[in-house]
Amino acid sequence: MKNRAKPETLRTMKKIEPYIWLLPSILMMGCMIMIPIFNVFRASVTEISKVGVYKEFNGFANYISVFKKQTFWHTLQNTVVWTIVVVGLSTLIGFILALVLNVEFHGRKLVRAVIVFPWATALIIQSVVWKYIINADYGALNALLYNLGIIDHYVNWTATPGAFFAWECFVGIFVTVPFVTFCVLSGLQSIDASLYEACKVDGASFWAQLFKVTVPLVMPSLTVSTVLNIIYVFNSFPIVWTISKGDPADQTHTLVTYLYDLSFSNGKFGEAAAVSVIGFLILAACASVYMILSLRAEQED
Amino acid sequence: MKKNPWKRVCLYLFVFAVCVIILYPYFVMFTTAAKTNEEMYSTTAGILPKEFKWSNFIDVWSAAPIMKYMFNSIIVAGGATLIAILCGIPAAYALSRMKFKGKGFFMGAVIMSQMFSPVVLLVGINRMMSSIGLKDSLLGLILLNAAFNQAFAIWLLRGTFTSISSEMEQAAKIDGCGTVQALVRILLPMAAPGIITTLIFVFINSWNEYTIALTLISSDVLKPITVGINVFYGFNMIQWQYLFATSIYATIPVIILFLCIEKHLVAGLTSGGVKG
Repeated sequence: MKNRAKPETLRTMKKIEPYIWLLPSILMMGCMIMIPIFNVFRASVTEISKVGVYKEFNGFANYISVFKKQTFWHTLQNTVVWTIVVVGLSTLIGFILALVLNVEFHGRKLVRAVIVFPWATALIIQSVVWKYIINADYGALNALLYNLGIIDHYVNWTATPGAFFAWECFVGIFVTVPFVTFCVLSGLQSIDASLYEACKVDGASFWAQLFKVTVPLVMPSLTVSTVLNIIYVFNSFPIVWTISKGDPADQTHTLVTYLYDLSFSNGKFGEAAAVSVIGFLILAACASVYMILSLRAEQED
Repeated sequence: MKKNPWKRVCLYLFVFAVCVIILYPYFVMFTTAAKTNEEMYSTTAGILPKEFKWSNFIDVWSAAPIMKYMFNSIIVAGGATLIAILCGIPAAYALSRMKFKGKGFFMGAVIMSQMFSPVVLLVGINRMMSSIGLKDSLLGLILLNAAFNQAFAIWLLRGTFTSISSEMEQAAKIDGCGTVQALVRILLPMAAPGIITTLIFVFINSWNEYTIALTLISSDVLKPITVGINVFYGFNMIQWQYLFATSIYATIPVIILFLCIEKHLVAGLTSGGVKG
């Protein structure tokens, strides 16, 4: 195609053409994502009244008042714990599950189908169910354990903020594991079986096989699932919002529930925007790591 | 593996335990949805309700405008899916079939946009939607869901298109087919499985979306189902049986759809993104 001579106008048309194809999606993402990003940055340096009227530029006043809050620092700490615990444990459990599901056994398809459930269910529904399950007075978990004779009186599962937060992490892991499992599984299934045959011939141990063959070969899938999960979990709103609303005494907030609480419950839109920008910058760091990784993978291709 | 029966037994026990844990919340949802109001708050409940009140599953439709909420969810998810696909197909086509300046930058921007969830942008989204008068409207939700799913749509579609050889299209072009015709007549039918996967995935994401709708929608008649179930969440009493009955109705179709695309989806997510 390239060596065929073309008139000048046709050539310009050819040059512009790809951009026309991209235009609808650029327009849509531009309007619906870029404008809010701009708004958030502007709001973070603006004095905003409780009903949302934008007054004037106030420099870093919003940031300073956020930084002065004890709750913010506690929330930041929670967010880091939340993200690392949920993503870390989900990745570990998901990886083990994928190894098991990669073995042939009766009913494997059925188990695969079951593992899809938490992934497909709306987070809000999953969160509400768990809120009910762990209820101290009439929750299903107490009823279950009591009737099985494991506990002899109803337990208050969320007596402390720490316990609350631990349950939220549990639910987070519960809904995150399937994604990891399926990502790793798709990686595992693309591994050539002859590699394992070779391991057997060489008499490699289970662990040697795991760390020298399996892990390196599923690394690309594992990277995708981990990076995406970091972003999803960091931004996950319904679980914490439904189960504890950040309470008791704002002890169990993560960054996103905190900013929601600041803006839509307390009318502090400027401060909430400042928290957004901080979250935004943390995510941008994650995003650049991801881009570097994926560009490198593309080059290796 | 067959040589060691104990390994098999352990495997089955492990898998069984995993299934029990995963299905537990669904079991709770189902049995609680069939509880009577008296038994709901009982502190001496059994594992199963003493008396199953199956009529809850029917009564719930008249206890709250569930039908309306479901309808809103279908409109929002359907509209968002349509827009995301219609904008995504040409973009994915350009990315997989053409060479142009700024391609790498655009791919980067697509991935970056995926990184910023609506939650961190809520303050900005809220302001933008108020100023253009789409705050309390289904159209607003449709556009936002379409935009925030656009990256995934492009990502999955590009992976699908790239995996299909362009030979057939080239041949069609030599026969005098235009680019658009080659895309519609030749590439799209061949890419159908990937397109359907993308459609269903965007639909499910929009159906399950909660945070944007919670923030933007204030009229009861415009609530999608994820926000609508909050009606059973009174200040003093939560009508758990209706809450869970509705949740089951909202979950079953999604799980079925998801099971249809699971294989394709995972392959698309892990390969379409990194390689291609």
